[in-house]
Amino acid sequence: MRKKKIIVVMASIFSLAVSMTACSGKDEKKSSGEKVVLRILENDTAKEEGYLDELISAFNEKYKDQGIEAVDANMDEYSDLAANGPYGYGPDVLYQANDKLMTYAEDKHILAINPEDYECYGTTAKEAWSAFDISIDGKTYTCGIPVNVQEPMLFYREDLIPENWESEWDKDSNQVPDFFENWNDLYKLSKQLRDSDSSANKDEKFGFMSSFNNLYLNANFFLSYGAYIFGKDDAGIYDSSDIGFAKGDAANGIEALIQFASVMDEGCIDDTIITNRYDKLGNGSYFCSVSTPDTYSLFIAKLALHYEEDGLSETEANEKARENLKMIELPALMPADGDLSKDSSTMKDSDWVKTVVMGGVNGYGISSYTEHRDEAKLFVDFATSYEMINKRTQILGIAPTRSDVAKENGGTADTIFASLESGRIMLMPSIKAVDQIWKPVQTLMGDFAKEPFRSDAEKKYAKKDDINTALEKASKDIYDAIYTLSDK
Amino acid sequence: MIKKKRSKAEVIDSVVTHSVLIVVSFIFLFPVIWLILSSFSKSGSIYDLSGFFPKSYSLKSYKDLFFDTTMYDYPNWLKNTLFVAVCSAILGTILVILTAYVMSKFTFTMRKPLMKTTLVLSMFPSFMGMTAVYLLMVNFGLINKLWSLILIYSAGAPMGYLVQKGYFDTISNSIYEAAKIDGASNGKIFLKVTIPLSKPIIVYTMLTQFAWPWSDFILPSLLLKNKDLWTVAVGLMNLDETKFTRFAAGSIFIGIPIIILYFCLSRFLVQGLSSGAVKE
Amino acid sequence: MVLINNVKTIMNSSFKAKISLAVMGLGQILYGQIIKGLLYLSSLVAVFLYMAFKGVTDIKGFITLGTVEADPWLGEAGDDSVMMMLRGILCFVILIIFILIYISNINDMAEIVVRDKKGLPLRGFKEAVRVFCDKKFHKIALAPPIIGVVIFNVLPIVFMILIAFTNYGGNIVPPKLVDWIGFGNFKKILVLGELKSTFFKILSWNIIWAALATAVNYFGGLALALLLNKKCVRGRVFWRAFPILAYALPGFITLLAFKFMFSYGGPVNYYIKLFGGSAVGFLDIDAGIKAKIIGLAINAWISIPSSMLLATGILSNMNEDLYEAASIDGATKWKQFIKITLPFVVFSTTPVIITSFVGNFNNFGIFYFLRGGLYNDGYFLASDTDLLINWLYNMSIDNNYYGIGAAISLIIFVITSILSLSIYVRSAAFKKEDTFR
Repeated sequence: MRKKKIIVVMASIFSLAVSMTACSGKDEKKSSGEKVVLRILENDTAKEEGYLDELISAFNEKYKDQGIEAVDANMDEYSDLAANGPYGYGPDVLYQANDKLMTYAEDKHILAINPEDYECYGTTAKEAWSAFDISIDGKTYTCGIPVNVQEPMLFYREDLIPENWESEWDKDSNQVPDFFENWNDLYKLSKQLRDSDSSANKDEKFGFMSSFNNLYLNANFFLSYGAYIFGKDDAGIYDSSDIGFAKGDAANGIEALIQFASVMDEGCIDDTIITNRYDKLGNGSYFCSVSTPDTYSLFIAKLALHYEEDGLSETEANEKARENLKMIELPALMPADGDLSKDSSTMKDSDWVKTVVMGGVNGYGISSYTEHRDEAKLFVDFATSYEMINKRTQILGIAPTRSDVAKENGGTADTIFASLESGRIMLMPSIKAVDQIWKPVQTLMGDFAKEPFRSDAEKKYAKKDDINTALEKASKDIYDAIYTLSDK
Repeated sequence: MIKKKRSKAEVIDSVVTHSVLIVVSFIFLFPVIWLILSSFSKSGSIYDLSGFFPKSYSLKSYKDLFFDTTMYDYPNWLKNTLFVAVCSAILGTILVILTAYVMSKFTFTMRKPLMKTTLVLSMFPSFMGMTAVYLLMVNFGLINKLWSLILIYSAGAPMGYLVQKGYFDTISNSIYEAAKIDGASNGKIFLKVTIPLSKPIIVYTMLTQFAWPWSDFILPSLLLKNKDLWTVAVGLMNLDETKFTRFAAGSIFIGIPIIILYFCLSRFLVQGLSSGAVKE
Repeated sequence: MVLINNVKTIMNSSFKAKISLAVMGLGQILYGQIIKGLLYLSSLVAVFLYMAFKGVTDIKGFITLGTVEADPWLGEAGDDSVMMMLRGILCFVILIIFILIYISNINDMAEIVVRDKKGLPLRGFKEAVRVFCDKKFHKIALAPPIIGVVIFNVLPIVFMILIAFTNYGGNIVPPKLVDWIGFGNFKKILVLGELKSTFFKILSWNIIWAALATAVNYFGGLALALLLNKKCVRGRVFWRAFPILAYALPGFITLLAFKFMFSYGGPVNYYIKLFGGSAVGFLDIDAGIKAKIIGLAINAWISIPSSMLLATGILSNMNEDLYEAASIDGATKWKQFIKITLPFVVFSTTPVIITSFVGNFNNFGIFYFLRGGLYNDGYFLASDTDLLINWLYNMSIDNNYYGIGAAISLIIFVITSILSLSIYVRSAAFKKEDTFR
């Protein structure tokens, strides 16, 4: 009587067995013609602004005869190559920041390349190439082809510069407002604006604004003071056991950060400013804010919208926004003792430290799992050619790592390129352990930023020692996160 | 006299009840209203709001949602989501109802052990098994296939059979005994007696089984690599933070089918439940 | 026992029967039961082929977890340890199913032998199927759900448990080869002080959270259902639609919206400042108890609607006569509630309470969305509102320690399942399922 349960069970096992054998003969190559299809994963901005389309159609036009076709991989821009690639679901070529790309390189998910094979080799800055260097078993490999540099920039509305800046804010008479040259004057201006705010909620006039819980955008409060992320050994290889957030005079920088937070509002503790900066800069509440060059178009869009509300037509508004919105580097000097309230005119050269910001190099990597290595190489070579990078610079407003394009376009592109060469930009370390610094440090930065908004009884960082202890603890936490659990 | 007094107490009771209802409704309504309001904000950003209210209104977010599809192909995602949700709701409901019915009305040796096992299995933190689910789907060649989602959603559904079993437990056994005496086979009893009796719980199950794929973003983002195959939830999660009003518009839009379903099915949910042929 | 007897029966009978012990299905064919015999035989052949071409390699791979490291640069495929583990588990699943079929083959054979001896006619194939479908309805009905659950729920769990005994994670991720390390991960957990103290801090908060959240959601839903069930309420469908609104929005959207609402730039702080207060950090690093309460409230906002729906359903199944009898006896409303409503509802929903407790215990979304990205003082890779599941996520996904994460989740799993199982087994709903029928 209990016989025929078998039938069900058997039918299922049969289908299972069939599907197992069928599926395990995995991805038979599609030999549909000789056409080689390359899947390209670009970033969202390039896609949104139409650059990707131009790049792909230009490439396809050129290589039509050789039967190579590039297509948009149409995936999430941060999708994990390590998970997708080995099973054939990843892109053939991907564009990423150096830290992300190099975590793939560490496990050989992207190919090591020979820089000299690429036309852009000679014209691209050495520092940019070095961002893609990795050392495996004592040998150094290059795993990415640089495209552009990123560093936090200061965005401001030109019409909001105080009218009397030439008399009041240009003590060295160099035709550049002092508040774009040093942080003390930027602080002074912000404080003035804050004090003059008479709106009901006291939320309509701000100077410099930034979400201080963001390490990438505000790393100058660490790096300018001798702190660093990971140390390097003599051979120039990153050592993830040497964590440098508490090194040098980092505590001075943090004091400056806390001081600056006091002329912002509580939005600097969480992500509020980082999301609202486009609007608030557009409507004039914020005089300036910090962001990366790739967000330029977002600022323009919001400012143009603001002008449209004032009655301008769409093109006029856009034009006016482009004229009025400016993007420059962060002020170059920070107070060595971390006291922003000192009058800049009384300070000697030795009272300053040079601003050092965190930056990154974005570039192309070729997936190790591509079946068309040579064609992928052709594509990258094409995408990093003078014309394409030039086009990219014009459409996306990036700062190219090709010196010829940087010079040609001048302005910001050239300035950022120069900063990369002069060492003003400290690049994000290209090792996996970088993933583990963000949360601990950013939690701590939010905590620092909250300090001015605490009552006297609640204050946590009244003394420099408290700051130092907190920094050392964060460094130790990072060390623990990297080392305690692993067998390194 | 007495009658009048009672009705006065009833009036007070009614007023109190309704005012409590108004407060409760407001609590449930106001975040939704806020989302709706911000979806109509002209500037496209919530930071333009003074408190809860946008400065100026426009339909731009909705227009963008359906026509600006180069980056965020909402109409397509909606289609995918609908397909996945409907298929998994149907398949999942069949499996859950079968499981719950058998666990409630049959006695066999493995019954209690099975009940205990499902309880224990549901204790496991599900995302820890995600790697395995991904590898399994790679192995079966089901990555980038909407069917893989339907398979997982409906296969996982019977794990939550307890609510439905609770419903069947409250149905009197006498009906079944009567049917058995009449000589009906078990398959027939299920189709002719159980299904008609369990309309309300089927509706409830359908609703929950529909809502889950409708709002889940973890599985689709794990299994669907190609943006054309995404579901609405994944798409919304990937929407840039500066596009909050579009996010709000998209969210409102995925709430609507559930609301419509509720109004269509409320007859079953409410009256159906009470008029259910539960006779002692 | 039945099985052993059946084997004996077969051994004591003819060669025709015995052959089916060696070649499944052959005996049935020899007795004239062709279709059934062929089905058995073909499944034997299928498994045999599978083992020969794939199964043996898979099991070997499961034991070694790979011997050749891949080198993607050189295009050398190499071994994929985790995939090998998974294929190994799949192979075991198939073998178990095969054993079940083999057992049924023995039982079937024995029955044929017995019937043959007694001279009873053997059932035809169609007849056998029909009888089986009716008498064993529960098996037929449960087979698809069980197979689905085994493949998509049990198998991943088994995989995860096995991962706890490997060194997967940290630096050892594919293409590097993973190895079995026995109890290495568990030893590490015991040795490391930070892990232990964080574990107990989070565990105690997690239990408090799960209990509070379950109680709030459950009684909130019940209260709302009772309120809507009052006789004086006009337009029930309309009033009930408001909680449904909350139900209609996907949880993560609600959570993101609430997170923004309570952020420093959000509307709540806007109004606080407008009325002269200073902004409150509801969810920031110092928030502590504030964040916990907000989490509880938002969780209630999300979960009460579905528990209300459920309670409405249960309430409408109640026997009205009980109330009438009670009001004739002069019982007050409150007494009626305590004596009649509550026992009935609690009885029919004990399993639901347990499920909801488990759900809240493992509620990943709420604090991930509201307060993700924070590490608090005194916690190792976690914040003070994080639940164990968030901590596991931080450890295994954010910091790549799969092996350790799996080991900790196994420990939690054992604790929670023992606890809930013992409650469940003692609960009235489980013991006396028939009371209210």
